[in-house]
Amino acid sequence: MLEFLLLQIIAAQKVYVADILKQLSATEFATQEGTLYPLLSKMRREGLLDYDWKESESGPPRKYYELTAKGREQLRETLDYWNKINGTVKNLGQK
Amino acid sequence: MNKVITINLSGTAYQLEEGGYDTLRAYLETATVRLQANPDRDEILSDIERAIAEKFHKLMGSHKSVVLTKEVSVVLAEMGPIDANPGEAAGAGGASSPGDEPGEQKAAAASGIPRRLYRIHEGAMIAGVCNGVAAYLNIDPTFVRLAFVLLTLLWGSGVLVYLVMAIVVPEALSPEEKAAASGNPATAQEFIRRAKAGYYETIKGFPDRKARREWKHRFKKEMHANADRWRYNWHSYWTEHAPVHPGIGFTLPLLSLLQGTTTVLWICALVSLLTSGSLFGVILPVNVPVWAAALLLCVAYGIIAGPLKIARHACYRGLGQPSWVWSFVFLLDAVVWLAVIAILFWLAVHFFPQLREAVQGVPSLVHQAADDIRTWWKAK
Repeated sequence: MLEFLLLQIIAAQKVYVADILKQLSATEFATQEGTLYPLLSKMRREGLLDYDWKESESGPPRKYYELTAKGREQLRETLDYWNKINGTVKNLGQK
Repeated sequence: MNKVITINLSGTAYQLEEGGYDTLRAYLETATVRLQANPDRDEILSDIERAIAEKFHKLMGSHKSVVLTKEVSVVLAEMGPIDANPGEAAGAGGASSPGDEPGEQKAAAASGIPRRLYRIHEGAMIAGVCNGVAAYLNIDPTFVRLAFVLLTLLWGSGVLVYLVMAIVVPEALSPEEKAAASGNPATAQEFIRRAKAGYYETIKGFPDRKARREWKHRFKKEMHANADRWRYNWHSYWTEHAPVHPGIGFTLPLLSLLQGTTTVLWICALVSLLTSGSLFGVILPVNVPVWAAALLLCVAYGIIAGPLKIARHACYRGLGQPSWVWSFVFLLDAVVWLAVIAILFWLAVHFFPQLREAVQGVPSLVHQAADDIRTWWKAK
């Protein structure tokens, strides 16, 4: 689930981890660095995302993440699946 | 005085208090052990180190060069425990594997510990009681504040309740307590509250008017359905639990009598206070201003009349579906009400010269007002 949300967030723009945490903190999926870094590394190993380094004015350089073609494809598939499930849930029980 | 240890976190030197250094080392060692089997271990560790370094960097200022033990704990709590198997365990709120980091408790709190009542200082008006109650009930604090104000005005008990709660209810200080104050965020009520908060933001995001209208329509429909369900629940609750008592026919007029008496007494006391500055001839202490006395009177009235009012309402409710038999009781009730008010008014007019004068002055006042309006109309 979190993986899907990360794809969605990263698809919109290049982000670094603090941005992701901030976006998620407003939702019911609020999480922490300790969860996020291992997940991002795993997704990168699977070829869903990539990153490049950017210097920051405050502190060490930051990793900015972006989706690869495979990541985009995965996001599209998951979104389709999500919408399908959503539709099923909505339609069930209605006459 | 504390010993300071200098460390190197992703290329920058930071000075830590010894206790903070121990905490940080323990955190990183646990992380290393947990990531033992992870192919990205080194990368994740350096990511984590960099994130911690950035947080430390933010803490530093021109006068501050040492990170305190307490600050290290806060930063590590923010980081949260290392999740070794992100694919399986990463659910809502970042479920975590067992461990002993300070962040562990916080994560547990976010994923559903029992809710507790705390005072919440952030965004509070006075002592955070209303804020805490709102978080506990998952509703907007404004409604709770309004409820307290109404309680004070109608029954006078709001201030008392507030004071007692401000003393008795503990304040949420630590992150765990704050999380416990609002409990598990994944409830339906919380979802509705967030939906409301996000309502206007979402509306802005729609590209064309048609989609916006459709979404608005759906939102309203859902909200109405929700409200209906609540109303239905309340109604069925009352029809099941309302007290039905054969003595209502007598108690109702009696209660009305008592309440009427208190109301008239209250009004007389207010009039006496505002016109002569004394309570039925008893002069106020010098250090009590008239407005405070009036406010106290209102509160006192509320405390006395409140239970009577509630009892009467309970009687009405207890009747359930009113039949023709009850209309007699209602009529009697109304007659008693009017009679009591008339008698007390008559007594008041006779025993308080100020009131008598005021009453006698009413016709001339009306005449004068009518004349004023007429001249104003002609001038126009």
